Order: sequence, then C-alpha cells, then structure tokens
Amino acid sequence: MVRLKSRYLLCEVCVSDRSNLLLLDDRAIYTAAKAAVARAHGDYGAALSSLGFSVKYLNAHTGIVFLRCRKSHYRLIWSALPFITSLENRGQRVPCFLNCLHVGGTIRTCQKFLVRYNTQQLHRMLPLCQSEGMRWSQIYFLLLFCTLLLFHCLS
Amino acid sequence: MAVFMDLNITYTTDKKRLRSVIETAAHLGYSTVAINYVVDLQQKKQEIGKPKCVLELFDTFPIVQGKSRPIKVLNRLTVVASDPSHFRPNAEYKAYDLVAVYPKTEKLFHAACMTFDVDIICVAVTEKQPFFFKRSPVNGAIERGVFFEISYTPAIRDSTMRRYTIANAISLMETCKGKNVIVTSGAEKPLELRGPYDIANLVLLFGLSEGDGKAAISTNCRAVHLHGETRKTALGIVHTMKKDQPLTERQEEEHVPVSKRAKIETV
Repeated sequence: MVRLKSRYLLCEVCVSDRSNLLLLDDRAIYTAAKAAVARAHGDYGAALSSLGFSVKYLNAHTGIVFLRCRKSHYRLIWSALPFITSLENRGQRVPCFLNCLHVGGTIRTCQKFLVRYNTQQLHRMLPLCQSEGMRWSQIYFLLLFCTLLLFHCLS
Repeated sequence: MAVFMDLNITYTTDKKRLRSVIETAAHLGYSTVAINYVVDLQQKKQEIGKPKCVLELFDTFPIVQGKSRPIKVLNRLTVVASDPSHFRPNAEYKAYDLVAVYPKTEKLFHAACMTFDVDIICVAVTEKQPFFFKRSPVNGAIERGVFFEISYTPAIRDSTMRRYTIANAISLMETCKGKNVIVTSGAEKPLELRGPYDIANLVLLFGLSEGDGKAAISTNCRAVHLHGETRKTALGIVHTMKKDQPLTERQEEEHVPVSKRAKIETV
C-alpha cells in the first residue's frame, strides 16, 4: 500500500519582544522558510520545498508552528531553518529565530509532545509568579488554548 | 535527554545583554555555557585580565528548560596567537575553567596540537584557512584529548562567512574523521543562538554523521569540561583547595570527584 509519509516539525518562534509575536501569520513563516531553503541549497532546495511543504498551524500567542514536509527530504529543509534571522509581515520586519522542538510522523504525536512541553514550561514559570495569581491562570489558559486548537486542527 | 552545552558566548561589557543571552540559552535547553574572553596578544600589549565572577551576573541562575537544575556558567579564555611566544601558561590561566587557542599559522597549529596545554583549538570560520590540516598533528591532538571547535554564528550572520565555515569544517572532517569536534555558537546577541537539535542537524552539512553530530554538542563538550577541570588538578587525582583561614602550611585534600572515579579504576 503506497502511503505518502510526512514529517511534522514542531518549532517555536523565539523573539526578544513578545508583543511582536502577535503580528505573525503563517504566510510570513512560509515565505521565510522557502527563502532560507533556497538561499542555503539553491535551486534544488527551492524545488524540494515546493513539494508538500506547508505551515499547518501557527499559534501567535505562544509562537508554536507546525511545518509539514515530505519524509524523504525533511532533513534538508530542517538544516536550512537555523539560517532564518527574521520574519516579514506586511512590511514589518521581526527579528527572531526558529527553535525546533520535536519531529513527529503525525500531528497527534507532536501534540502529545506539546502537552508535555507545556507542562514543563508551567513548572518553570510557576516559581516566578507566586505573587501573581492572575499570570498563573493566564498560562493555564494558554495550555488549554493550545490543546483545544490542535484538536480543532485534527478534525 | 543528553546534557547540551554551549561553550562559546562572547563576553560583552553590557551586562544586560549577557544576561539575556544566558537566559535564552537556558530556555533552549543548554545545561552549561561558557563566557569567552578573547585575547589578541599581537595588538598593543593586552593584559590577560581576571575573569569576572559569574555570581555578579545573576542572583539566581535561570532553570534549564526540561531539567530542574539551574544553568552552569563557566569562564573560558581564547588566545589568538600567531607567534609561539604569545602563549605562555602562567597563573592567570588557572583562573579560567577552559583555555582555547586560535592558531593563525601552520607551525603554531602543529605546536598547539602536540605540546600546548589547552583544551580547545579553534578552527577559523571567518576567513579562508591559510594552511591545510595535516594528519599527524590532528591525530596527535585526538590522542591527547584536545578538541577542535567550530563556531556557527558567523554562518548565520553573513553569506560569505557561511561558505568559509562549511569549507573549513569539511576540510577538518576529512582529516579527523569526525572525532573530537565540538560545535559552539559565538553569540553576542540572544537572537544568534540556536537550539541543540537544530545544530545537530546543521552539522550534517559539515560532513559529520548523525551520531557524531549529536556527540559534538553533548558528550564531546562534557569531555572538554572535564579536561579543563583536570588541568587544575595533579594528574586528575589530587585536587587542591586553598583554605580561607591562614595556615602555617598549605593542606592538600584528597578529593576524588565522582565523575573521575571510573577513570581511576581503569588506571
């Protein structure tokens, strides 16, 4: 049975200024990734990235991105991602970098990892905001937001 | 989850920037970082100053992402040398946890691999290598436990640097077959750091295999750290500590670190 296998790269967009994150959209990341692959690997890279490469999901609040590529050449595309230095959106340039957290075969496995990662983040941030109960509840809300949106994406 | 280390963060006098770089490194998952003080002895008489105490930077170190320990910060000295007389190990070197040398000539590279008391030899990434790597000094360095370092931040900044980095890295890999290599950032800003898995993938471009790539940022870096620690001890067995109270004679303490216990048993 022939099955087109793909790899989902779970990346986090890291910016120095969190308010800039809200400006991003998936088209900006798509163009930036394609340009980086074309610069690093030339015409061959540009051709590969036009096959089955897409941005599946973007969460502007937490900066989590899902990139989907073909299993046969996901390594090539992945090796060009560290060279992204900024994202452009509607004429505004946001300096940032992509940090790849996990590579999975399906969205479900990536989602399982994301839940574990978010609980770790929560454990990290919890000691910092003992006094601000509201910030704690905001983080909890983001966690729910992530998982709910992913279920929406799956269906 | 292996222990990832980033052994090259350029020292800046701007404390806030240094602090944000270390916080980003902790967020990305690096358990240990080393602040690099670069000394170029050719330009006007530069003194090798004492490294700044790490406790000055932070009250509490940021916790590493994915672990419960705070990040560890080391001090490292890089000597840019074009003359054998530039490198003179003296007491000032002892204040640093790691010592590196950046050789500019073939003769110095040979001397650094065989005789110098260093932990790391930096490979040029910002210019075309003026000399070729020969098998004999490289193999001698591997036997001694000296590591070769490749820095990736110039490749991110500029396209011509990218070509030099890849060219020099590949010529190194051909000679050393992927052993004893570490990959570090040369980050000055927090946006120039990259995650450990991204770097492990990037080194595939340099000609390293998958296992070697992961080792380049985890186990090899740990070996460099231990190599730096043993430089302070006598043959790696006896570790001396200066006591605070004034004494008539200096006391030597037999202190066997847990990490070295296995080595002593085999020896």
